[in-house]
Amino acid sequence: MKNKNTPMCIILITLLVCASLLSSGCTSSEGSETAEVAYSNTLVLGEMWEIETINTVSGDGGTLICEKAAITETLVGANPDFSLKPGIATSWEQLEENTWEFKLRDDVFFHDGSKMTAEEVKFSLENVIAENPRVASMLKIASMEAVDDYTLRIETSELNPILPGVLHYPDTAVISPSSFDEAGEYVKPVGTGPYKFESFDEQTRVLTVVKNENWWGGEVGLDRMVLKGIPDPNTRAMAIENGELDFTVDVPYSETDRINEVEEVNVEKYKTPRVYKLDVNLEHEPLDDVRVRQAMSYAIDRYEIAEHVLYNVGEPAAGPFLPSMVWANKDLQPYTRDLEKADELLTAAGWVDKDGDGIRDKDGKPLKFNLMTYSTRPGLPPMAQAMAAQLREAGIDVEPEVMEYGAINDRRAEGIWDLYLAAYNIAMVPDPEYILSNWYMTGGPDNGPGYSNPRVDALITEARTIADLEERYRKFNEVEAIVYEEQPMIIVAYYGCAIVKKDYVSGYVFDPTAHDYRINADMYIEK
Amino acid sequence: MRYFLKRFGFMALTVFAVCALTFFLMNAIPGGTAELILKHTFVGLEESATEEQLNQISSRYNLDDPLYIQFFRWVKAAVTGEGIGTSYVFRKPVLYLLALRLPATIQLAGASMAIAVLAGVSLGIYSALRENRISDHILRVATLFGVSMPCFWVALLLILVFSLKLKLVPVAGYGSLENLFLPAAALSLHSMAAVMRVTRTSMLETLGQEYIRFAKAKGLPLRKIISRHALKNAMLPVVTVIGFQMGNLLGGTIVIEKIFAWPGIGSLLVDSISARDLPVVQGCVLAIVSMFLLVNFLVDMLYTHLDPRIRYG
Repeated sequence: MKNKNTPMCIILITLLVCASLLSSGCTSSEGSETAEVAYSNTLVLGEMWEIETINTVSGDGGTLICEKAAITETLVGANPDFSLKPGIATSWEQLEENTWEFKLRDDVFFHDGSKMTAEEVKFSLENVIAENPRVASMLKIASMEAVDDYTLRIETSELNPILPGVLHYPDTAVISPSSFDEAGEYVKPVGTGPYKFESFDEQTRVLTVVKNENWWGGEVGLDRMVLKGIPDPNTRAMAIENGELDFTVDVPYSETDRINEVEEVNVEKYKTPRVYKLDVNLEHEPLDDVRVRQAMSYAIDRYEIAEHVLYNVGEPAAGPFLPSMVWANKDLQPYTRDLEKADELLTAAGWVDKDGDGIRDKDGKPLKFNLMTYSTRPGLPPMAQAMAAQLREAGIDVEPEVMEYGAINDRRAEGIWDLYLAAYNIAMVPDPEYILSNWYMTGGPDNGPGYSNPRVDALITEARTIADLEERYRKFNEVEAIVYEEQPMIIVAYYGCAIVKKDYVSGYVFDPTAHDYRINADMYIEK
Repeated sequence: MRYFLKRFGFMALTVFAVCALTFFLMNAIPGGTAELILKHTFVGLEESATEEQLNQISSRYNLDDPLYIQFFRWVKAAVTGEGIGTSYVFRKPVLYLLALRLPATIQLAGASMAIAVLAGVSLGIYSALRENRISDHILRVATLFGVSMPCFWVALLLILVFSLKLKLVPVAGYGSLENLFLPAAALSLHSMAAVMRVTRTSMLETLGQEYIRFAKAKGLPLRKIISRHALKNAMLPVVTVIGFQMGNLLGGTIVIEKIFAWPGIGSLLVDSISARDLPVVQGCVLAIVSMFLLVNFLVDMLYTHLDPRIRYG
């Protein structure tokens, strides 16, 4: 114990342990590096979220595995205008109110070599219904029956016109029973898509897929694709600049134009089915006054926000739907800024600046609201600041607060809020009814403002029983026009997506119906 | 021996107290646990959850039981060696996740610690020997920067210089020595500066002692005076700071791991907190606390060797 060298020994041992840990880190990667040489046509993809799981049944791997890794496919596909098209189901028909029949392709093979039939489709839907409460509540399936090898009959528990739309949702993608081991544990996704699962390193969380030579859809562009989760947008930007990635998404919006100038890298900006919207608490005076809400909408400069906050990764919005959606009301135009009109409306509502402090007041009370938002979507906090500044110019005092999501949930549940800025998905399912009834129907699950209009409720309910799409969409257009006028939610901008890729990545086609982005089978690397 | 028993007793108590605190705090922060788990696993953050879905999640994870029963169940499983729960998000045992993620964090924190100690101590000695000369001033100003610059910002600067401009190392990734360089350097900067400052001060103080003057008078070369006499005596406060810096490093990994996509427990912890993945949060906190206690235990042991007058027990 009295050895003079002991402290030195301890330090040396510590350093040795560190060194050995380092070297162990080095050796573990050698295997994969040598393997990479064998494939030349490999794409390295920088995914925007950490890849936590490849489990599509009881985890949230559905979108990743189906849309980004292209391992699995859904029964129903969607066109760029969000109308439905055949996927691995060729056609579908509503036989009776609650009975649907889906015809399946007869040339689809799983990656394990087995043929896909109605039995396997039934199997994978049953699995996801049992594990995923969200999908189960959208599908509303009471029972399924494989009529023959390529016909699946579905009984819904209630009238569910959006059933085909839900079957475009990535979590409903078809997987083979061989995705599970003998004990029934999920092991890996065995799908039917253009790429086959090769490996998932649970430590580094790198997912690798390889070309499916027997894809029913024809030739597949890439030999191999490596997906790495890089959660920090700055890191993604620098990694593609440095040549470590071939394809990535959502670099910081302010960086998009600079990165586009970088040699061999190009940035494309698209709209995705999501909107930035401001919920208005209709239970709080004076937000129940339609004139105040319209004035606010006139005071917000959507064009300035799109250009200077979102750097054009996103566009000014009019209604809840993208103008490119087949059911959207194309007559609506985004509110343009008009401070005079806002002044007119607010003065008519009795809000005038009597004490000269720049903020309007009525009966001695200032026109003041709080505005909650969260930071997981980078456009939200600066947008809240910009809107507060713009509303102040119209004499409305708005105090933005950026909070953790849980805290916002609590405040909303307790009603302690005036305005809430969020980015909502508008086509989780490619069908307008889903959004309109969730947002605008009395008591709808996403009806945060507490909006209630009997005419809107009636229109949506009527539309449910209408089979003719044209006529159905007309009802929805009317709903859109009403809420455009009444502004219970102030729709600010369409959400954008910046696709960043190397110039040699060819054949990429952006799919606006994807939930973040979709990798298409014909994408390839040009040599 | 009795001292060690007592010491370990206290360590166990600390671990228990921290776990209990984490558990109850996690349940006290705003936002319904079941709701956030549901949104993180199935629904998507911005979407709404129905009552039925919430009930399904609550009953799946027994979230409706009183808190103390939930906590007792967790402690019982941990003590009897059953494991420390299963992640709600990953659907894997927490111990399995820790086994995957902990080595990466130990590697990162260990490398940073090594850099901080080696560079901090040697620069500190150098600075003390050149007291008030120009190189000393430069180093002291540099440490001020080191202490005051946030590590995420330093990390981005390092990437810019070493990856994009000099093309020496990759931006992000895990697995090789190249990948370790930037995160370890960014993470160590703060600790390195702290260690350097303390080494310098303590070294100067020691160099003013009479026995150093005696050693000089004896005709010992400077190198020997430093290594034999001064360093050992000056190390005591330095070792204390190193022990504390361990906490700093473990905290820093949370940010650094996110930036470099480093698969450690820091990033796991942050994600798990926002997803209210309680078992994983518990597991990560348990691992971090144990690491911190262990390092400080080693530091205390080191004291007795540096200064035999210190006795425990």
